[in-house]
Amino acid sequence: MNETAIKFTNFHYGYINSDIILHNINLDVRKGSFTIISGPSGAGKTTLCKAMAGIIPYYYGGRYAGDVEVLGVTTKGKRVSDLAMRIGLMLDDYESQLVSLTAGEEIAFSLLNHGFAAEEVEARTKQVLMDVGLPGRENYQLDELSGGQRQRLLLASVLAVHPEVLVLDEPVSAMDPDGANALYKLLYKIYKEYNMTVVVVEHNINFLLPYVTDMIVMNKGRVAAQGFFEEAAAMTYAIPELRRNLPELWQVKLNLEQRFGISLRAWRKEAEALEELKEKFVGGALG
Amino acid sequence: MIEAKAVNFAYHRGEPVINDITCKIEDGEFVALLGHNGSGKTTLSRLFMALVHPRSGDIFVDGDNIEKLEPADLAHQVGYVFQNPDLQILEDTVFAEVAYGPRCKKLSETAIKEQVQAALQAMGLENLADAYPRTLSFGQKRRLGVAAALALNPRTLILDEITNGQDEQEKDDMMDYLQKLNKEKRITIILITHDMNIARQYAKRAIVLNDGNLVFDGTTQDLYNGVRDLKEWGLTQPIMAILSAAFIISAPTVEDFCEKLCLKEGGER
Repeated sequence: MNETAIKFTNFHYGYINSDIILHNINLDVRKGSFTIISGPSGAGKTTLCKAMAGIIPYYYGGRYAGDVEVLGVTTKGKRVSDLAMRIGLMLDDYESQLVSLTAGEEIAFSLLNHGFAAEEVEARTKQVLMDVGLPGRENYQLDELSGGQRQRLLLASVLAVHPEVLVLDEPVSAMDPDGANALYKLLYKIYKEYNMTVVVVEHNINFLLPYVTDMIVMNKGRVAAQGFFEEAAAMTYAIPELRRNLPELWQVKLNLEQRFGISLRAWRKEAEALEELKEKFVGGALG
Repeated sequence: MIEAKAVNFAYHRGEPVINDITCKIEDGEFVALLGHNGSGKTTLSRLFMALVHPRSGDIFVDGDNIEKLEPADLAHQVGYVFQNPDLQILEDTVFAEVAYGPRCKKLSETAIKEQVQAALQAMGLENLADAYPRTLSFGQKRRLGVAAALALNPRTLILDEITNGQDEQEKDDMMDYLQKLNKEKRITIILITHDMNIARQYAKRAIVLNDGNLVFDGTTQDLYNGVRDLKEWGLTQPIMAILSAAFIISAPTVEDFCEKLCLKEGGER
């Protein structure tokens, strides 16, 4: 598990006519990890995702220095389509990524562009629709699907090419908490089943606490913390202005550990936190 | 004051979206309108601003039935801020954008200037009056949307997912501005949101819709006491509410919660 899926080396980037957005990024996304990217607005999270998929600099141009490697291959000079077989990207502006009339066509679009045979396209379309919980919807018009269903369809179309790495930028922005939980549960199942590497940008990381293995925290265009989730969370907590980018359960954990000089277990679920809290604490100051 | 009496609604030939809803929102309230995707929150708020009209039942704004009115007739009473700020931006400067509504009402230039400046100030945008709206940050664009609605001096503001896509600091800023409007100017705030923490921290009253039915109307304290199972309505209890309820303490934030805990005798050190 020590192989690297995505590697940034001394990477700097600025869009055309903008200030430098990413400053000297050095980071590794472990192969097989479920990595979350967190951080305040404007920290460069989306730009980082675009650089991972090679859209930056290929599509956007701009100024850059340093290197990004995806699965051992530099993105420099690569077309987005060269990389798309190995790394799938789902943007937060999901409507802009949908191009077809029906769900089936939407999924077939990228497969046909990659030159797959018709039977293979049909088989994969059927399978991914099943995987994302939209079985048999091949002939549904896109406007018959809700926002949340469209986000799942987009996930299906990205998954259909069987990428080894999946990068998702705020994939549940149009969903209610129930829908968000369902999509992440599904994503985790697919991640496990296909041994993928998953990178997710998410503001509300409470949703991802049960699944995350690694974390990257961005702040003002720089990497503020990275590594295994537990370590990166402790690093982030040490920077007061970034604490609120941690799941609330971990803010509680790290706060209590610091306050009482104790160590608490690595909670991933509310029930685990409640159990240990009840074991060790009483609600002292009433009010 | 907005009042719905036995309101039913369906789009075109579709399924009913709002079923027999009766509720009353008084002046100066801060209400969270909650419910899962497709529960009817946005539709109910559209009924409140006369963008659509009930199939049966009546809506009253400040005591008047609005069945014959259009949104423009109501804009000085009910302001609406849409979910996607880019859809609401029409002009080339922040000032012109906020002035758009008052201009349509054909107010004098002096009155327009006064109202625009007051609205910009209320949302902390006074230094950006000459900026090009599309260059604003997402959080600033959302505040611009609120300022544009405010410039018509409405008594009620309806805000659709106003904190969506913003980080914690931007959310705090937005909510502090709204709280100030509510407290100091007694503007009624109706907040459509999925963010249970925001609803818990800022709204006094919660109205919950589930599949077009009104299933809860009461204080947010009662809704978020950590005891009620909100899952059947497609909602979740905020984590801090669950933890607070387990220790029978009131703690809206992580810091409050941790401060109120004591290590048990013999607790691990």
